[in-house]
Amino acid sequence: MSPTPLEDQVHDALHRTADPVQRAPFTVTDVRTRARRIQRRRAAVAGAAVAAVLAVAIPVGAGMVGPSPRSDVPPATEPPAPRITGTVRIDPRTAPVGGELAVPLINVDDQTLTIGGETIDLPRRYDQLTPYADGWVGITFVDPQDEGATGVEVLGPDFEVRDAVAPSSHLAVSADGSRLAWAEHDGRRWTVVARDRDGAREERRTPLPPGPQDARVRPVGFLPGDAVLVGTTDPVTGRESALVVGPDGTTSPLPDSLVVGSSSEVTGLVSVQTRFTGDGSCWQVRDAGAGGAEVWRTCDYSLLGFSPDGRYVLGFIDYLTPDGSPTLAVLDAATGERSLDFELVGARTGVVGINQEVAWEDDDTLVATLVTGDRQYVVRLGLDGTVERVGGDAVDVQPGDRALMFAAPSVLQR
Amino acid sequence: MDATLVDMGAHDRQSDKDADFSAYMSARQTALYRTAYLLAGDHAGAEDLLQVAFAKLYLAWDRIRDREALDGYVRRIMVNENNSLWRRAWKRREHSTDTMPETGAVDTYDEGTGGALWSFVQTLPPKQRSVVVLRYYEQLSEAEIADVLGISVGTVKSQASRALAALRARAPHSLNPHESGDDAR
Repeated sequence: MSPTPLEDQVHDALHRTADPVQRAPFTVTDVRTRARRIQRRRAAVAGAAVAAVLAVAIPVGAGMVGPSPRSDVPPATEPPAPRITGTVRIDPRTAPVGGELAVPLINVDDQTLTIGGETIDLPRRYDQLTPYADGWVGITFVDPQDEGATGVEVLGPDFEVRDAVAPSSHLAVSADGSRLAWAEHDGRRWTVVARDRDGAREERRTPLPPGPQDARVRPVGFLPGDAVLVGTTDPVTGRESALVVGPDGTTSPLPDSLVVGSSSEVTGLVSVQTRFTGDGSCWQVRDAGAGGAEVWRTCDYSLLGFSPDGRYVLGFIDYLTPDGSPTLAVLDAATGERSLDFELVGARTGVVGINQEVAWEDDDTLVATLVTGDRQYVVRLGLDGTVERVGGDAVDVQPGDRALMFAAPSVLQR
Repeated sequence: MDATLVDMGAHDRQSDKDADFSAYMSARQTALYRTAYLLAGDHAGAEDLLQVAFAKLYLAWDRIRDREALDGYVRRIMVNENNSLWRRAWKRREHSTDTMPETGAVDTYDEGTGGALWSFVQTLPPKQRSVVVLRYYEQLSEAEIADVLGISVGTVKSQASRALAALRARAPHSLNPHESGDDAR
């Protein structure tokens, strides 16, 4: 990267812009105050949960790792999973080791895929992989050294490339893995492509109106009736709007969002971010089947990841950064009522985080990667309050980095 | 009595921490503010970025052994915060206006080219802009930028290349390589 006149001019322009700036606006007191706000925010969700539980006189075992004591209230006829109340603390260092992961896991650093307890070397770097036909569909980087542009590859059982299209979005994969969707740009327009995993049906292609590549389109998830929820980005404002792509090729916009979160293929509910307040965000759950009508709203959580049965949605911290979320709430998807809280040990004092790209293994179990200190772990979280460490040994990571990620997470914000 | 001694010890440690942190802030705040300003593009955003970064640094202070790495830690937090999806959405929404972003000092000796370039830098996607600021303002190496951003060196190169291409495409004719002599190199 030898300097060119333009590089010199950029260097000069930045220095002429910044060098005259002589500001030191903060005192240590200001910073301590902000630090306390961050600590309070990290603790707020868990603290509120504890308060709520105490208010109904159910004891909570604060400080314990694993499930808090179960409620004495007998279970109702309709299984009220999650069946415990209170806050479950996650300490991956002491959590019992659980059974093998039910979902594939990519190690970016080692360029490996772990599935069913077996670790496979990948021939090239993949950002996403999901089983398809007798092989895989993968998302790779168009230039292996460039994480900016991605393409989709249809792969054989040994990862030999059978078909490739670029540029493309990432993949959306249905909860049972039977359906997958992506969007590809042909230089003129984005087209949403949906396929069955077993290849039984012909792929469904829905071309969208002509638009540039940076008017980004990405499938977010599936909806009832084989519809696909798609996020479309306005390249001028950066706002992402929701669009329902029907199986017959019809498209129905769900307006007024900043970011499209997740969808439930059972209930037709979707989550969208509607506001950013500067140090937090507001979200709504809307009913795609009712034209996007609001069901409930919150400014306490970032709403991402409906359970496969649609009963629950996950609430991450409202100010979500690449560090992840120190807490994870399990909320009733229909009402927003909090059912269960997980809190990462150390969340009140240190920078620790649960990555929001979680994967549901079944209706009552999810797996998540999390970073605490300089180690990244994989944990299995049960809605009955169980916490297990899974996915093999923890790996070393630099601050802000991650090496482990699920190959086809239930939540994807890429 | 023991409890009092323990309390005093904790108090001393807190005082030491605050004194160390205060010394670091005093020495580095102005310089890091400039980086925050280039990343955020306006003073309100810069103040917020830097305050969050200092606050997170304060929380992690006792766990950071390598004091030489403090600037890098602050830069990493600022870049991550600035690139965070939620913040980007907010900034886009708040700033979706026809008016140009804040400009820095008015260039008199280069007929405003520097000011124009700064305006164009502000239109770059967050990651490209981060690379440009770290490379051409902080003058970090590609490896150092890769470390700060948590990406590969190859991605740093490609992001820088894209950013320069975008700047060439948008910048005034005087920056066109055919007119500025790039081709002659």
